[in-house]
Amino acid sequence: MILAVLVSSLAGALIVIARNINSLLAERIGLFPGTLFNYITGLALSIVFLFISGEAARLSFGSLEAVPFEAYLGGLLGVAVVVLSNIVTSKISAFYMSLIIFAGQLFTGIIIDYFVLGLLSAGKVIGGSLVVAGLVYNLRLDGRPIEKQK
Amino acid sequence: MYKLYSVFIGVLISLMIMFNGVLSQNLGNYPASAIIHFLGLIIISLVLTVKRIRINLCRDIPLYLYIGGFLGVFTILFNNIGFSHLGASLTLALGLLGQTIASIVIDHFGLLGMEIVKFRKEKLAGLIAISLGIVIMTVY
Repeated sequence: MILAVLVSSLAGALIVIARNINSLLAERIGLFPGTLFNYITGLALSIVFLFISGEAARLSFGSLEAVPFEAYLGGLLGVAVVVLSNIVTSKISAFYMSLIIFAGQLFTGIIIDYFVLGLLSAGKVIGGSLVVAGLVYNLRLDGRPIEKQK
Repeated sequence: MYKLYSVFIGVLISLMIMFNGVLSQNLGNYPASAIIHFLGLIIISLVLTVKRIRINLCRDIPLYLYIGGFLGVFTILFNNIGFSHLGASLTLALGLLGQTIASIVIDHFGLLGMEIVKFRKEKLAGLIAISLGIVIMTVY
């Protein structure tokens, strides 16, 4: 239980650390080559985990065909996310980038729920508004634009 | 401008999570992760080919800069452990907590090439509002 709490928090920390490391690599070897290496190492470790987990047997042409086509769009979006993150990461503080991305995720989630499921969750809207309010408050405290002149 | 980019990244991540979730439900978490990385590798290779970008590997680049992809896969593994033991909401909330703390530490000490942004006590009020918002979203 405590281990699960720790690794869940660590998962979040790793997202930020990976983003910064990827952006440092992209600064050195270029935006797209940097993204390429993210996928080479990611695929290599995914394959290792695939065999360790014993789930490799679930992959077959039949199972791949049964998945709705749009589910495969996530791979494309992932590349766009890595490329864009590589551009933005060094330009604004890690904290604000994390929170602004979160706010974007949040409201897209609310919109998806509304249009796909016909749900509008009061808790999500209120909670989300609080997050954005806290974010704006802290941004104003900085008293200067968060975009750095580079 | 970069703030707008960040909002856009958030929008893309939401859609990505939705699509990847469908893939994981159909194939399992680890096969899905392999497929997603495989597709991503093909797409970025196509981009490099079309744009005729050559890859120059400088020898003086520290090796740890190449492990970003590894960390991404560990994120998936850790999230899977969280989801199966704690459920979706708590895992997501803890993930956000981890992101927040890591970001503040990186900014405060200027780690990983970031400019130093010292943490100020006045920002605690904003942080409390943000945390409260996350808790409310998680509970409902």
